[in-house]
Amino acid sequence: MHLVDTVEVEPEGVERYLELVGTLGKAVMADAGATFVSCATTSGEVGERVHIQVTWAFADLVQWNEIRKNLVLDPRYHEYGSTAASLRVGGTRRFFTPVALPTMP
Amino acid sequence: MLRRFEVYALSPDAPAERVRDLEEACRRCGRFIPEVLDCAVGQNLSDAPVQLVWEHAYAPPEAYRRYMVHPYHAVVVDRYLLPDAPGRIVIDGPSGAGLYGYACDTPSYRMRSGVRRLVLLRVGSESSGAEVSKLREELEGAPEVVPDMVVSVLAANTMGSAWFDGVTPVMGPPRWTHLWEQGFRSLDALEAYRQGGSTPAAMERVGWDQGTGGVVSRAAELFYEVRGG
Repeated sequence: MHLVDTVEVEPEGVERYLELVGTLGKAVMADAGATFVSCATTSGEVGERVHIQVTWAFADLVQWNEIRKNLVLDPRYHEYGSTAASLRVGGTRRFFTPVALPTMP
Repeated sequence: MLRRFEVYALSPDAPAERVRDLEEACRRCGRFIPEVLDCAVGQNLSDAPVQLVWEHAYAPPEAYRRYMVHPYHAVVVDRYLLPDAPGRIVIDGPSGAGLYGYACDTPSYRMRSGVRRLVLLRVGSESSGAEVSKLREELEGAPEVVPDMVVSVLAANTMGSAWFDGVTPVMGPPRWTHLWEQGFRSLDALEAYRQGGSTPAAMERVGWDQGTGGVVSRAAELFYEVRGG
């Protein structure tokens, strides 16, 4: 199962946001039990805010509940959260579960 | 049973529409997770720097564990709350914000409508069990002498540290060790209680520390009109 955060950042904040995810974010999430999957951005050269999509993996919501507990009890998580909040201007969080595509007869 | 309260301090720049979404998410929780009972949401009317209270319950504690791993909790409710969630609209820190709750045998908190008042109490570790029992007897007996006080429960705030599974503490003792949960038929009834001659009201007027002989060292109150789901 994947947790996908898509945040909106001003172009000048992209580097700082990526650095945050790559350092504190990865450390906190990994220690809590999540696996980093990917990070991708939209273009910063088109005069629009940049969307940054970060994906984490874990087995299911039972494991996520354990990860969530570990996060909440980790003081670094709160620092990570408040710093991320100061850099983004919006965004969404969604959980994705793999599904099998129907096969055509 | 587990009785539980989540008390939120909203970010000053939280859009009104998103706040309404959070209220609705809390209010409708029982429709998606049948184990969540007696959902109601209120806007705090006290001076405490918190805005929103979500009250609900679970029976038995296993129901709480099912709630914790239910998609509605992780996907919808947490969307507004977790520190790193992009859609977060709450803030940490203000006095009164947090998670509170207690174990009870029956839904003695239940009230169809009216005004809920929560008094968060800090009982000193030096206070004896007998002193706390005496205080409980005094406070829980209040409805017998206070007109239109329909609920009065004093209980240890066990959920404050056992928020993971409802039973096992995962952190140290909470800042507020006890809750005094009350229900009144109306705001006028609450005001009449405050001005009235009951022992608890007199105790509150002189201050909890003095009024309880030091058993309670600090207190904070929240109250709100109950609006169910």
